[in-house]
Amino acid sequence: MARSLRLTDPARIPANSPGRGIPDVIGRPGPSPFHRLNPLTKATLATTTAVAAVVLGGLVGPSILVGAAVIVPAAMAGVLRRLLVMAAILALPIALSAFLINLFFFPGGETVLLRIGPVAATAEGLGFAMEILARILAISGAITLFYLTTRPADLVVDLERRGVSPRAAFVINASVQTVPAMVERAGQITAAQRARGLDTEGSIWRRVRGIVPIVGPVILGSIAEVEERTMALEARGFSRPGRRTLLWSPGDSSREAVLRWAMVLALAALIVGRMSGAWQ
Amino acid sequence: MTELRASDLVHVYPAAGVRALDGIDLLIEAGETVALIGQNGSGKTTLARHLNGLLRPSSGRVLVDGRDAAELTVAQLAAQVGLVFQDPDRQVFAGSVLAEVEFGPRNLGRSGDELRGAVRESLAACGLEGEERTNPYDLGQSRRKLLALASVLAMRTPVVVLDEPTTGQDPRGVERVRAAIADIASKGRTVLAISHDMRFVAETFSRVIVLRSGRIILDGSPSEVFGAAAWDALRSTYLEPPLSARIGDRLGQGSTPTDASLIARLSGDEAQEQKA
Ligand SMILES: Nc1ncnc2c1ncn2[C@@H]1O[C@H](COP(=O)(O)OP(=O)(O)OP(=O)(O)O)[C@@H](O)[C@H]1O
Ligand SMILES: [Mg+2]
Repeated sequence: MARSLRLTDPARIPANSPGRGIPDVIGRPGPSPFHRLNPLTKATLATTTAVAAVVLGGLVGPSILVGAAVIVPAAMAGVLRRLLVMAAILALPIALSAFLINLFFFPGGETVLLRIGPVAATAEGLGFAMEILARILAISGAITLFYLTTRPADLVVDLERRGVSPRAAFVINASVQTVPAMVERAGQITAAQRARGLDTEGSIWRRVRGIVPIVGPVILGSIAEVEERTMALEARGFSRPGRRTLLWSPGDSSREAVLRWAMVLALAALIVGRMSGAWQ
Repeated sequence: MTELRASDLVHVYPAAGVRALDGIDLLIEAGETVALIGQNGSGKTTLARHLNGLLRPSSGRVLVDGRDAAELTVAQLAAQVGLVFQDPDRQVFAGSVLAEVEFGPRNLGRSGDELRGAVRESLAACGLEGEERTNPYDLGQSRRKLLALASVLAMRTPVVVLDEPTTGQDPRGVERVRAAIADIASKGRTVLAISHDMRFVAETFSRVIVLRSGRIILDGSPSEVFGAAAWDALRSTYLEPPLSARIGDRLGQGSTPTDASLIARLSGDEAQEQKA
């Protein structure tokens, strides 16, 4: 088949060629004031919220906490929809199993609501299951909010600026980055599975069917990746003593420092109050 | 057999605001072997991912076998267009070589002898026979890449798209890839391969398409695209014609001379020099 050469005059192609541009790690302001908070502030918020939800217990406490420390900030940052979806996906497997187990097998449950064969759902079980659910949602919501508004690398740069040793910073980095890395890897492998005919469009069960077999390899792959990265860092003089030069670090203010201490102190007060039995 | 067509295809990555494809018009007929070349970021992978629906056009259309790809799911398109990814680690997931290679054909509903035959054939084509029970992570990167290729070959799709299949392969691996492409073509099926290896491109494909900034700037046979008339256009996007094209052009042998003819000609020259 004869085909004549097609040649486009290069001069007719505009100069604004696509390119990767400036790496978005460096000094780009976040889209909202909440995004622009210092990473440590957001990490503190996530941690104290998660711990407080567990310490508080009950249904009312964690619910108020979720509203004030997760929903409101997420709405302010404009990530509420994504947060709800992601937190639900993250919490779903644990929440569902914890809910069912407690609903049906809560020890000492007497008020039977529903009987299915040999097992019975009890009112006591339902109450406890709801409490567990509230805690799980608070924890997954707090963590998701952090990831949706913070680049993990920023947290590490900020910690190094505060004098945390590079080694400790690396460990923190490796652990905070594994989650997004695993999510990304899972996404890419799923894409490759679809390219080989796995039907994931449509029902949620079809998606789950695709995800189950890749969980193991994704986790193993991410661990291998972290190991590789560690060696690559060593090879570039990572463990050399002495302070390193930071090109850029996220902003911070004394107001934020006060805020962080306030959160930590509030949590400490909560724990002390709980342990001394001052309040139930 | 399957024909691929793109008309005024535009793709913008919304997050980055990058216009990765900027009006691609293209017809690839059944049975063609096409190489897609261009500098990093010119849009090759983006174009490849439109052919099986993993990416969807921002505007314009992709037609697979005359049907608008927009109406088909990725899983449906996968029966027509197999895609081997650039990075095997983003594709391979199973715990054994066999499970990995069986995954695609099983999804397409193959079973029994047909499945076993397809698996055996594709493993042999990629030099992986005897590794059925091996864990893909123990294979090493370059053989894992061949495994990714085998896992798509086993689907026996009418079109096979390969994203940089020879990157990281030693000469034997490159030869395997070349043989696999020739084998697909001999069955009247279509191959589209992305590559940065100009020599491999010149020697393997019947048609070469050059992308720059999301547009096609050259499209023709290897002798045309690597011919002297196109060198300026090639170099405008930092591609260098293969050395053989430049020597062949000097010696009046055209832009796709065989190594043998070049060597014969040069030894002839040497003999003459010695006589003089
Ligand atoms: N997921 C993405 N999000 C945002 N931009 C992207 C994404 N993938 C690619 N791009 C951008 O789109 C453009 C084309 O990328 P593409 O990967 O198609 O190029 P390529 O020709 O395959 O390059 P390479 O030779 O490096 O593989 C580049 O500018 C790239 O930065
Ligand atoms: Mg690419």
